[in-house]
Amino acid sequence: MSGRRILTITRRVMKQVLRDHRTVALLIVAPILVLSLGALLFRTDPVAIPLGIVNEDQGMSLPVVGSIDLGQRILDELIESDRLEVIELVLGEVDERLLDGSAQGVLILPEDFTADFLQDQQAELDLRLEGSNPTRSMTITAQVTQAAMESLASLAGTGFGMPGASQADDGEGSLPLSVEVTYFFGGEEFDTMDYVAPVYIAVLAMFLVFLLACVAFLRERSQGTMERLAATPANRAEIVLGYMLGLGLFALIQVSVILFYTVWVLKIHYLGSLALLFLIITLLAFVGVNMGILASAFARNEFQVVQFVPILIIPQILLGGSFWAVSEMPQYLQPFAYAMPIYYANTALRDVMLKGWGLAEIWPNIAVLLGIIGVLYMLSALMMQREVA
Amino acid sequence: MTDFVMETRELRKHFRLIRAVDGINFSVQAGEIYGLIGPNGSGKTTLIRLIIGLLRPTSGSIQLLGETMPNKAVLSQVGYMTQASALYEELTVRENIAFFADMCGRRDATWMEEVIALVDLQDRVRSPVRTLSGGLRQRTSLACALAHRPRVLLLDEPTVGVDPQLRSTFWSYFRELAGRGVTLLVSSHVMDEAERCDRLGFMRKGKFLAEGTVEEIRSVRGTSTLEEAFLQLAAMETEGGAH
Ligand SMILES: Nc1ncnc2c1ncn2[C@@H]1O[C@H](COP(=O)(O)OP(=O)(O)OP(=O)(O)O)[C@@H](O)[C@H]1O
Ligand SMILES: [Mg+2]
Repeated sequence: MSGRRILTITRRVMKQVLRDHRTVALLIVAPILVLSLGALLFRTDPVAIPLGIVNEDQGMSLPVVGSIDLGQRILDELIESDRLEVIELVLGEVDERLLDGSAQGVLILPEDFTADFLQDQQAELDLRLEGSNPTRSMTITAQVTQAAMESLASLAGTGFGMPGASQADDGEGSLPLSVEVTYFFGGEEFDTMDYVAPVYIAVLAMFLVFLLACVAFLRERSQGTMERLAATPANRAEIVLGYMLGLGLFALIQVSVILFYTVWVLKIHYLGSLALLFLIITLLAFVGVNMGILASAFARNEFQVVQFVPILIIPQILLGGSFWAVSEMPQYLQPFAYAMPIYYANTALRDVMLKGWGLAEIWPNIAVLLGIIGVLYMLSALMMQREVA
Repeated sequence: MTDFVMETRELRKHFRLIRAVDGINFSVQAGEIYGLIGPNGSGKTTLIRLIIGLLRPTSGSIQLLGETMPNKAVLSQVGYMTQASALYEELTVRENIAFFADMCGRRDATWMEEVIALVDLQDRVRSPVRTLSGGLRQRTSLACALAHRPRVLLLDEPTVGVDPQLRSTFWSYFRELAGRGVTLLVSSHVMDEAERCDRLGFMRKGKFLAEGTVEEIRSVRGTSTLEEAFLQLAAMETEGGAH
């Protein structure tokens, strides 16, 4: 062992890294970027979730205590919650509101809600959830349960209802409250994997071909063959298109594997058409290919390609509506979501897989993806033009 | 003049402060072998890249096969061999040659065999380029430049790393191609190669210090060999003397 040789190597390695200013900058910038995005998304109070309430509860008048209106009490509790934005609805509007997403859930309190409770000492809540986003569904269910529990507890003071708060600890069976949840989309047989599957698929489809395309195109430049290609009659548009199709073929194979595996091996539940899923994932894969080709123009070596992961890929995943619903992100981050190609694929995949929607409903997302592919393609061809002649 | 295959006028290419090509005027006729001779960094590669249209000139103009460069269409009749070998490492020798032939729209099976035989790669056509030695890569590169039967060949130091025997074969083949009307522009450092050219441009710092046939350059300088003439020219230039 020679300490001097080791230090000589150490010095050389440090010099090499330092020469690559971008790498040094990235070592500092990338963690800050990714951490800040995470903090913004985790920390900021999310926008309230719209919850519809159909309150038909007539309440009940009793001697001695006077009138009791349990429905109104629950409603008042819910209005106080800052996680929810309560909208009062009539029964006829429920399905329409759930379909267009302007209510993410609806709590229905029937005419005889109070009366039944006083009679049975047991309340059953009819909660209908939009159902395409598991975290949102959980929030709503928890908030509604809590509001109902507090309303019932406040009844205890009047001598009715809660036979005593202590009894609530005895176990589920003795709780005077049960929540009957029905899902507008998806359903009970859908587990968490079913809900995250669309996102998984989208991220995989884009990420891997992005790297493939980026490195392949970069290699063309680093091994000098780009110069040779540029000296043939082929123009930039042809070269980029050739790449797009060649790598696109691998993207197609990969898309098939992803779909086959999720649907037949993991047995993911999905509602809409498989062909439509294939189309969406394929488009997203092509976005990945074109993004890779474009990004390679900004990379001098393979290491710099890897740097695109925290810069281009992770923000896509965080901001593209993958795990945080865009409507619940802080207002000032929302415009970024719409700039992320993966957002449109996520939305379309969820609409198809969880809501069973068809082309007629999701075509705007498809159109945007096509547009993005076109724009990326033109930019890639333009970027090449800058390099050689 | 229109009967020149290649012609430049007051051609300049500056990279910021570096004048890589600094006012080059020259022309090459059909069937001629023109040699670009000059030390490292004198601008040979830059001049070739300008002629083939890979770079846009800072000023001046280039005519190639009657077209003003850059022009894509002309390139199907032009073969280019880069200084550092530019090949697809994963593909075999034959696949590389076929690829470049196809890119120029002319694959001809018998011609391809002829090219492979010329560079003496018959035994290695199925080898991936990744497994080739430096000289074998150089031969593959030349084959790729010839693959589409070009009318003009731009060869940037084609014989670097090639053994003397094959180098000699290359040059007799260049001569044979010229005999068939192919025009060649060849860059080199080596004097014995310079003497095999029909005409020469001696480059230094982006300029031609001397231009003409081997005889002309020798007699103007009054030296017995080309090498002496070049050394003399280079010395004059470094002394700062006008020429
Ligand atoms: N893309 C570029 N950017 C900046 N400078 C460049 C570029 N290409 C060439 N140069 C500079 O232009 C000058 C001429 O370079 P060129 O490659 O043409 O020389 P050459 O005669 O081919 O040398 P060699 O015999 O070493 O191949 C050199 O100083 C080189 O550093
Ligand atoms: Mg050179």
